[in-house]
Amino acid sequence: MSNALVPLPVVLPLFAAGIKLAIGPRLARTQRGITVGVLALIVVIAAVLVHQTDAHGPQTMRPGGWPVPIAVVLVVDRLSALILLISSVITLAVVVYAIGQGSADKDEATPLAVFHPAYLALVAGVSDAFVAGDLFNLYVGFEILLTASYVLITLGGTGARVRAGMTYIVVSLVSSMIFLIAVGLCYAATGTLTMAQLAGRLDALPDGVRLILQLTLLVAFGIKAAVFPLSAWLPDSYPTTPAPVTAVFAGLLTKVGVYAMIRIQTLLFPGDRLGTLLLVAAALTMLIGVLGAVAQTDIKRMLSFTLVSHIGYMVFGVGLATVAGLAGAIFYVAHHITVQTTLFLVTGLIERRGGSTSLTRLGGLARVAPALAVLFFVPAMNLAGIPPLSGFLGKLGLIQAGIAAGTAGAYAMVGVALLTSLLTLYAICWVWNRAFWGERRQVPEPGQVIEGRRGIGGTAITAAVPPPAMTGPAWALVAFATAFTVAAGPMVDYTRRAAAELLARAPYIAAVLPS
Amino acid sequence: MGVLLAVLAHAVAAVAGPWVVRRCGVRGFWWLALVPAAVTVWAAVAAPGVIEGRPVVWAAGWIPEYGVSLALRMDVLGLLMVFVVAGVGALVLGYCARYFAGTPHRGLGGFAGVFVAFAGAMLGLVLADDLILLYVFWELTTVFSYLLIGFHAEERNSRRAAITAIIVTTSGGLAMLGGFVLLGAAAGTYRISAILAAPPAGGTVPVALALVLVGALSKSALVPFHFWLPGAMAAPTPVSAYLHAAAMVKAGVYLIARLSPAFADVAPWRPVVVAAGIATMVVGAWRALRRNDLKLMLAFGTVSQLGFLCVLLGYGTRAAALAGLAMTMAHAAFKAALFMVVGVIDHATGTRDLRRLSGLRRAMPATCAVAALAAASMAGLPPLIGFVGKEAAFLALTGDPVALGGVLAGSALTVAYSARFLWGAFGAKEGHAPTEVAHPPGAAFLAPAGLLAAAGLALGAGAPALNAFTAAYVGRYPPGPHDEPLALWHGLTVPLAESALVIAAGALLFRRWRSVPAFRFPLDAEHGYRVIMRGVDRAADQATRFTQRGSLPVYLRSILLALLLLPGGALVSGGPWPHDVRPWQVPAEPAVVALVCAAALAAVLQPRRLGAVVCAGVAGTGTATLYVLYGAPDLGLTQFLTETVTLVAFVLVLRRLPARFGERQVAGIRVVNALFAVAAGLVVAGVALAAVSVRTAVPESALYPQAAERAGGTNIVNIALVDLRAWDTMGESAVLLVAAVGVVGLIYGRRRPTLPRVGDATGPVWAIPGAPRIEEPEAVRDAATWLRGAETLSPERRSILFEVAARLLFHPMLVLSAYLLFSGHGSPGGGFAAGLVTGLALTMRYLAGGRYELAEALPLGPGVCQGIGLAVVAGIGLAGLAISGEVLRQAVLDARLPLLGEVHFTTSTIFDAGVYLVVVGVVLDILRAMGAELDRRVEREHEEVATA
Repeated sequence: MSNALVPLPVVLPLFAAGIKLAIGPRLARTQRGITVGVLALIVVIAAVLVHQTDAHGPQTMRPGGWPVPIAVVLVVDRLSALILLISSVITLAVVVYAIGQGSADKDEATPLAVFHPAYLALVAGVSDAFVAGDLFNLYVGFEILLTASYVLITLGGTGARVRAGMTYIVVSLVSSMIFLIAVGLCYAATGTLTMAQLAGRLDALPDGVRLILQLTLLVAFGIKAAVFPLSAWLPDSYPTTPAPVTAVFAGLLTKVGVYAMIRIQTLLFPGDRLGTLLLVAAALTMLIGVLGAVAQTDIKRMLSFTLVSHIGYMVFGVGLATVAGLAGAIFYVAHHITVQTTLFLVTGLIERRGGSTSLTRLGGLARVAPALAVLFFVPAMNLAGIPPLSGFLGKLGLIQAGIAAGTAGAYAMVGVALLTSLLTLYAICWVWNRAFWGERRQVPEPGQVIEGRRGIGGTAITAAVPPPAMTGPAWALVAFATAFTVAAGPMVDYTRRAAAELLARAPYIAAVLPS
Repeated sequence: MGVLLAVLAHAVAAVAGPWVVRRCGVRGFWWLALVPAAVTVWAAVAAPGVIEGRPVVWAAGWIPEYGVSLALRMDVLGLLMVFVVAGVGALVLGYCARYFAGTPHRGLGGFAGVFVAFAGAMLGLVLADDLILLYVFWELTTVFSYLLIGFHAEERNSRRAAITAIIVTTSGGLAMLGGFVLLGAAAGTYRISAILAAPPAGGTVPVALALVLVGALSKSALVPFHFWLPGAMAAPTPVSAYLHAAAMVKAGVYLIARLSPAFADVAPWRPVVVAAGIATMVVGAWRALRRNDLKLMLAFGTVSQLGFLCVLLGYGTRAAALAGLAMTMAHAAFKAALFMVVGVIDHATGTRDLRRLSGLRRAMPATCAVAALAAASMAGLPPLIGFVGKEAAFLALTGDPVALGGVLAGSALTVAYSARFLWGAFGAKEGHAPTEVAHPPGAAFLAPAGLLAAAGLALGAGAPALNAFTAAYVGRYPPGPHDEPLALWHGLTVPLAESALVIAAGALLFRRWRSVPAFRFPLDAEHGYRVIMRGVDRAADQATRFTQRGSLPVYLRSILLALLLLPGGALVSGGPWPHDVRPWQVPAEPAVVALVCAAALAAVLQPRRLGAVVCAGVAGTGTATLYVLYGAPDLGLTQFLTETVTLVAFVLVLRRLPARFGERQVAGIRVVNALFAVAAGLVVAGVALAAVSVRTAVPESALYPQAAERAGGTNIVNIALVDLRAWDTMGESAVLLVAAVGVVGLIYGRRRPTLPRVGDATGPVWAIPGAPRIEEPEAVRDAATWLRGAETLSPERRSILFEVAARLLFHPMLVLSAYLLFSGHGSPGGGFAAGLVTGLALTMRYLAGGRYELAEALPLGPGVCQGIGLAVVAGIGLAGLAISGEVLRQAVLDARLPLLGEVHFTTSTIFDAGVYLVVVGVVLDILRAMGAELDRRVEREHEEVATA
C-alpha cells in the first residue's frame, strides 16, 4: 500500500536544508521557524504512521513508482514507525535547545550556515535509515547521517573537537566501508538488495555464505551501535561536542545501528544461530561499559560510558530472538533514545550553571539550582532503572524475556543486566553526591567565561542561569519519558506486536512484494 | 478506591510540600501531617470490615503484556502496617514542625516534599497486591531515603552513608526483582493474593525465594547487610524516627510476613530467616550496649529488633506470627518515640553523647517519663505491649532450642541497653555537673513521642483485643501446639519465668556492661562492603585503562580483528570455495590491477604528502580504467573527473600543511599494521569470491534495460541514478553537500566572507614574499584583457598563455557540461559529470586569474548553488508526491514545438539539473575556501611578517 507520508521525514528536511542554504545567513528568524516547523511536522507524520502501521500493517512507498525490485522501496512497519516517532520528538526538542543556546551565546551565524543544514541532513539520514527497504538505501541513510555527524562533531573547529572528530570519522568510515562491502557481497550472492526479496533468497543460500554475510553486517552495525569490543571510539569522541550535538548523537546514532541489527536479525537472518555470540557481546558491552562509567570523573564521559553499557541491554533482547526479547529491546531503544538525550542536554545546563562538568570542580549544586537538580535527578534515576520510570520497564521486559527463555545463557544475562543496573546507579549516585551535594563550590558569576568549553560555533560559553528556551526542551523530554510510564500498557503492547510482526516476516514481505 | 486515594493524596502532598513549607515555614509540616493523619482515620473507619475478612481492594490494568497491574489491597496485615506507616508518619511530621523550628534550613521545602513522598511510597508498598508494583514502591522508598539520609549534604559522612544505604538496599532489591520475576513466572501471575492462595512449588521457586529473602534482609538491615543502618543515622532525627524505626526498615519484615504463610515451609525460607534473624538480634543488641551516641545505640537496637521480628514473622507458625505482629506494633511505637526523645535531648542540650549528659531526669522530667515508658516497652516490662509480645514469642519458640536460646540472649541484651539508654540520657553521673538545658522542650515537641509511648501502654492493656484484630492473618498459618491468645497474664507459665530471667540477666549486664567484651566479629560486613566497592573501583579503572586506550590505531586493529575472526573465521571454517575462477576477463585487467596495487602501496610508503596524494590519484585513475574495461564508461568518466577535482582540492590544501608526514610509528607496529591490512584484504577478497560463486538468482539489474526504455532513455546508468534509484541519488547529493558545508565551515571558522570582487582587490595576489618586484612590461599592460581578475595578480605569477587558454576554453567547457547534462539519458553523461566539468572550468579560471577571477566567472555564492540544487532535487520528489502520489515520480513529455520540432523531455532532467547545481556549488565552495580564503590568509601572514 503506497503511503505518501512514508518519504516525507526524509524529503522535507532535505528540502528545508536546501532552501536554508540558498537563503544563507539572512532572515534568521524565518530560518529558525523553518527548522522547527519541519521537525514538528515530522513528529505529526510519525505519529500518524505509528497509528497507520498498527492499524493496517506495514506502509510502503516506491519512489518513482517503479515496481519492486527495480526501484528502491521504502517501508515503515511498527518498529520503524515507533523509532521514527521517538527520534522526531527528540530532534525537535534538541533543535529548540540549540536555538536557545545560540541566542544565549550570541552565536547565530555559524548555527545558521552550518549547524542547521547539517542537523536537518542528520534528521533526513536517520529517517532514511528507518524507512529504507533496500539494503543499499540503508547504507545511503547511514552515509547521510554520518556525513552530517562528521560536520557536527567538528563544529567550530576547536582543537579538541577536531582531534575527537578524527577518531570518530576514521572509525565511522571503516565501518561504512565494511557495510558497503557487505552490501556488495549480498548483491553478489543474491542479485538483489530489496530486503523483502533478500529475505527469501538468503534462505536459499548455502549456510557458509549466509553466515559470512550475517557476520559482516553484524560487525558493521556493531561498530555503529558501539557494541564491545567495537565501542571504544564512542567515549573518546562524544564528550567534546556542544551539548545539543552530543545529545542528539547519544540519543540517536547508536540506536540506528541497533535498529539495523534488529532488522537484519529478524528479516534477513531469522533464527537465533548467532544468539550466543550476541549474548556474550551484550554481556561484555554492559559490564565493560558500566565499569568505564564508574571510573569517570566527568559527567559527559560518565554518560558516554553508560551509553555504551546500555546498548548491551538492547543487544541482549536481540540475541534472545523471542517476541518478548525483541519487544524488550524495542522498548529499551525508545527509552534509551529519550533518556540519553535528556541527560546530555541537562549536562549542558549544568556546565552553563556550574561552570564545569567535572566532578572535581562541581559541588553543592542542589542548593544553588534546585530546579536543575530535579531536572538531572529524574532522568538519571530513569537511566539507572529506578521504577516506575521507563528504564525500569525496559529492564523488566528484558528480564522477563530472559527468564522465559529459560536457558543458562539467558539466566546469566539476567544476572548481568541486574548487576549493570546496580553499577549504573552507583555511577549516577557518585555524580549526584559530588556535583549536587557536596561542599558548595563557587559557581561562576553570570557572564563569566567558562574555560575550555565552546558553544555551537566554537564561541566561548558564558555562565548564566540557562534561559527557558534551553530548560524548556529538557523539561519537555522529562515529561515525554514520564509518558512512557503512564502509557506503559499500550506501549508494551505495541512493542510486542512490533516484535511479533518482525519475527513473522510475512507481513513485511507481503507489503513489499504483493504476490 | 480509598486505598488508591490514600496513596494519591501523599503524591499530591509531596508535590505541594516544598510550596507549603516555603509559604508557611515549619508550620507547613502540620498541614502536611494532615494527610497521613487522614489516612489513619480512614483506615480506622475501614478496620471493622477488614478484620471481618473483607479487605479493601482496588485494581486497574497497567501493563497487561507484562502481567503487571495496579492492584492495591488492604487486608489485616496491610491495615496494621497502614497504622504503623501513616500513624507514625503523621506524628513524625508533626514532630518536624518543632524539630526544625528556629534553625534556618535551606532546602527544607524539598525535604518536606521528599519526606511525604517517602510516606506515600511506603504506604503503597504495604498496600500493593502485585509483586512488581510492590517492587516499584520498594525502590521508591530506597531512592527517597537516599535523598533524606543525605539531607546534610555538605557533610561527607552523610553523603557516604546515603550512597552506602542506596547501594546495599538496591543490590538486595535487584536480586529480589529477579526473584519476583521467577516467582511470577512459576505462579503465572504477579498478584500476591493469588500467589498466596495457590503457591507455586518446585523448579525455580527455591531460587526465587532465596533471592526475595536477599532483598528483604538487605532492606531490613539484617546480617550481613545490617551495617548501612547505623550509618544512616547521619540523617536528621525525624528521618531516623520514621524511616529507620517505623517505616522503611519494616519493609523487609513486612515482605517476610506477607509471604511466610505460603512459603515458610519451602526449602531455604525458615533456616535463612531464623539464622539471619538470630544473628542480627544478638549482634545488634551486643553492639548497641557499648555505644555512647544515644542515636547510634538506638540504631543498633533497631537492627537487633528487626532480627527478632524476622525470626517471628518468618517462622511460619500461628503463635510466632501472632507474637511477630504484636512486636511489630510495639517496636514501631517505642522505637519511634525513643528516636524523637533523642531529638528532643539533642535540641535541648546540643549533644547526644551520653558521656556529656547528666542529670536530665530533673531538668526534663516529662521527657524522662516518656522515654522511660518507651524504654520499658523495649525491654519487655509489664504491662506494656513489648512484654506481651515477648511473652508470646518465648511461648511460640518453645521446643526450638536454637531460636529460643538466641531470642532469650538477645532479649537480655535488649534489657541491658534499654537500661543503659535511660541511665545514659537521664541519669545523674558521679563527678559530672548536671548538663545545662538551653531550650527546654515545649509540650508540642514532646507530644508525638508521648502519644507513641502511651500507645505502648494502651496496647499492652488492650492486648486481648489484638487477638481478634489479627485473627484473619494469623489464621492463615496451620494451628500449632502453642496457640495461646495474647494477654498480659497467662498465669505462672514457663515464658513468664523466662521473662523474669531475661530481665534479671539484663539488669546484671547493665550493671556490669563495661565487662562485656567489645567483641570484634571476624567477619565485619561493613569492611567487606568497603572491600567490594574498592574492588569495583579498581576493576573499573583497570578495565577502562585496558579497553579505552585513546588510540585510534588500537581501535582500528580491534575492528579489523573482529572482521578477521568473524566473517574470516566463517570463511575458513565453512565457506564454499568457488571451483571455476577465471583470473581475468580482459587481458589488460591484470596490468591495471597491478598498477592500482603498486600505487596504493606507494601511497602508504610516501614520506611526503604531495607524493601520497599523487599516488592515491593514480590508484583512483586505475580504478576508473577498470570501470571502462568492464564496459561502464559513465562510471569511468565520473571517476576520472572526481580524481581530477580531488587532486586540485588536495593541492590547494597542501599549501598549508607540512610537506612531510609527521613522525612515523615504530617499525614493529608498522609491520603489525601491515599484517592486519593484508589479512583484512585477503578476507574481503575471499568472502567476495565465496559470495559471487553461490549466486543462482537473476540479478535485478537484468530488469534495467526494459525499465530504461519505459523511462524514456537508453543509458541505464544515468536512468538508474535519476529515476530508478533517484531516491539514493537524492541522499548522496545531500551527503556531498553536507560534507562540503562542513569542510568549508572548518576553514572559515566563525568568519563568513563576502564574495571577493575585482574592485576590492588590495595588493598583488600570490606575490612571492621577498622576491624583487617586477615591473609589468608596457606591452602586457596595454594588451587586451583576457581575464579581468588576472590583473590583480602579482606580475611574476601571470601567464598570458594560460589566461588566453582559460578564456577560450571556458565557454566550450560549459557547453560540454550542458551537453553532458542533457544527453545523460541517452549516452554517457549526467548531472554529476556535467557539474564536475563546470567545476573544472571554474577551477581553470581560478588558477589562471586568481581569487578575484572566481567572482568574475560566477558571481554567485556557493551556498546559493548548493541550496537551490538540493531544493530542486528534493522538490522534484515532493512534486511527484503531490501530483502522482509517488515520491520522485518522473514524467516524460513528448511535444511538437515550433522551430524545435519533436521535443523529448523528461522531468528527470530537472532532477539531474539539481544534482548539477549541487556539484557546481560544492566545487565552487572548495575553490572559495581552500583556494581564495587560504590565499588571503597566506598573503596576510606575509604582510604581517613584512611589517614586523
